[in-house]
Amino acid sequence: MRWTGFWIGAALFLVLAYASTFMVTNTFFFFVGYVMLQFVVLATAWNILGGYAGYVNFGTSAFFGVGVYTAVALFKAFALPLPLQILAAAVVGTALGVATGMMTLRLRGIFYSIATVALVIILETFVVNWKFVGGAAGIQIVRPSLPSFFPTYEGMLFVVAAVLVVIAVAVARYVEGSWIGRGLRAIRDDELAAECSGVPTLRLKLIACGISGALMCAIGAPNPMYQQFAIPGAAFELPYSVSPLAMALIGGTAHWIGPVLGALLLSATQQYLSVTISSELSLLALGVMLVLFVIAAPEGLVGLLRKVGLFKTGTVRPSNEKGKGT
Amino acid sequence: MSKIKVTRRTAVQMTGAAAVATGTTFGPQMASAQQGPVKIGLSMPQTGGLAAGGRASLLGIEVWKDDINAKGGLLGRKVELVVYDDQSSATTTPAIYSKLLDVDKVDLLFAPYATVPTGPIMPLVKQRDLLLMGNFSFQVNQTVKHDKWFNIAPWGPADSWGRSFIEIGEKAGAQSIAFLAADQEFAQNLVKLAKGVADEKKMKTVFEQNYPPNTVEFSAIIRALRGARADMVFVCSYPPDSAGILRAVNEIGIGENVKIFGGGMVGLQFTAVMESMGSLLNGVINFNSWLPEPSMYFEGTKEFFAKYQPRAVAAKVDPLGYYLAPYGYAQGQLIEQAVASVKSLDHKAIAGYLRSNTHKTIVGSIKFAADGEWEKTGTVQAQFRGVKDKDIEQFRGPGKQVILSPADRKTGEPIIPFEKARKG
Repeated sequence: MRWTGFWIGAALFLVLAYASTFMVTNTFFFFVGYVMLQFVVLATAWNILGGYAGYVNFGTSAFFGVGVYTAVALFKAFALPLPLQILAAAVVGTALGVATGMMTLRLRGIFYSIATVALVIILETFVVNWKFVGGAAGIQIVRPSLPSFFPTYEGMLFVVAAVLVVIAVAVARYVEGSWIGRGLRAIRDDELAAECSGVPTLRLKLIACGISGALMCAIGAPNPMYQQFAIPGAAFELPYSVSPLAMALIGGTAHWIGPVLGALLLSATQQYLSVTISSELSLLALGVMLVLFVIAAPEGLVGLLRKVGLFKTGTVRPSNEKGKGT
Repeated sequence: MSKIKVTRRTAVQMTGAAAVATGTTFGPQMASAQQGPVKIGLSMPQTGGLAAGGRASLLGIEVWKDDINAKGGLLGRKVELVVYDDQSSATTTPAIYSKLLDVDKVDLLFAPYATVPTGPIMPLVKQRDLLLMGNFSFQVNQTVKHDKWFNIAPWGPADSWGRSFIEIGEKAGAQSIAFLAADQEFAQNLVKLAKGVADEKKMKTVFEQNYPPNTVEFSAIIRALRGARADMVFVCSYPPDSAGILRAVNEIGIGENVKIFGGGMVGLQFTAVMESMGSLLNGVINFNSWLPEPSMYFEGTKEFFAKYQPRAVAAKVDPLGYYLAPYGYAQGQLIEQAVASVKSLDHKAIAGYLRSNTHKTIVGSIKFAADGEWEKTGTVQAQFRGVKDKDIEQFRGPGKQVILSPADRKTGEPIIPFEKARKG
């Protein structure tokens, strides 16, 4: 798909999202939709480092939680509007991503993954002891007045999440087709060989960490307004680390559309099962689907669709590079 | 698998939920619940850390539902519970309550058990101006200040919990206090209020320690606590920590000067924990909501437990069910009395009735204050005595948890110091 087509699709998606806030009266639609879009951003962000470079990050919830608490702190201290909270969270996420990368990217494989788990524990402990944002007791958020061009708060948050989805997917698409993506794939295939070939491995990994961290934190920022409540146990919850990983793997890590498909499929399944059968089964479904995909479709949904001829595009190229995808 | 009603929802409703989850709107064509059963919607922790309490509480509510339906229901309509598992998490409840209201079209709302899952629902019900019956959450209405919130928990005024414990110590001659608390929401709220009471009474704080959640080894903390030589120790802990703390106290000892120990230890109210801790409980003075002491029986209490306990064994939930189950039933009784009186399901009318009357329930008389909490505390502080190891039957009768406070429910005097009481 060329960039023109992508932007037309993105614009249509945003128009539909905005129109739905006037057409849909059932706010449950927006609650469910928000959660699904939130996981699309998290899975896409995870895939930039985990999928393209092969560095498995178990610390997604750390970045998400930092996004949540950046927004809480700024809202409580300065009553900043939501767009500025998101922007600030993205800046904090970039800094945190790069700083974490600098400290941990000398570790590889399982050691890097363990370091990311430690990050969750460290940051959650920090927030638990930060009384200004409620500490362990949590904090209730009273939403500010609604902008006049949205009929409901839930609808507005749904549109905000949709905008972040477009940004995240556009960034992932750009990274995938650019020199960054090619470098990251070289790292994933053989980091030593890439280094010997002149690929600036540490710089690329830091860029990926920064971008991934920014997106994860940015989608954390609207969460306090969605929940109207923030508590460390929920903001740094394990599913925020595990689900994006599973979604990217089920969707397919090689192409930007993989995490999008995986997130939509898994989060819709989970939402449906948790209100129809039981929450236990919704978690079981995630595990079963992951096992099935690992065995039957190791390249995820994208690989499966490619096998049956329904998906032909390979890796995309950035807009300034001519020709078809690789 | 859960036995909740929702597992048997019709194919039409399941298709509807799927359509919503995948982005289809129902809008106004959703069937109205006006002429069907009276639907009461709630989420309940049935998995996760709060599940043990949540399932017992739900069974208490179900016993009430069966009783009211046997009597003809509310306003001549059967009562139906629409229940979802919130996994003990705050992240799930906003969507669940939105579904209850917008898809299931429930008539009335009950809150889930505990503070964390309830927190996010408060702004939602305030915005929609709905009645919400609270279920053992602590101080969740402090920020939101919703006038249609009524908490069934017997906490009463926020500081009464710590106050009752500290006053028992004060009467025993204590002049200094130590605080040990989990770094989690409920424990931190509780300890903050207790510190306020201690300051007011000019108690000297000689030890103050928070510990991270999931701490399992407490020997170093208990050694430091023993070294502080406090006259009383106020502990705010969660079930696994409560067990760890008592084991460490049993091994190391707490010192002869400690007159009373306990106060806010969650977990010691649950049958499984009481059975496994056995004689280690002796001497501890701790909060509770209901105990089989003579002062705690009201009209219908015995009959409730006669129905609950056989069902609890079959459902594999707390077999005694003292802490939460009778309050689940009482929550239903409040609604039953209010609806019968105002002859409507109008939330404003029900809230008005609940606010301006005293209600007789199986857990005693309840009058609500302006903040939706009990006007007068019903939380008891009781001392474990003569508890033997691995014997669940001993807890069915009086004498094993002697009530020291409040005065109108008192059934004995404390044994002090703690080390003496601990020996049984």
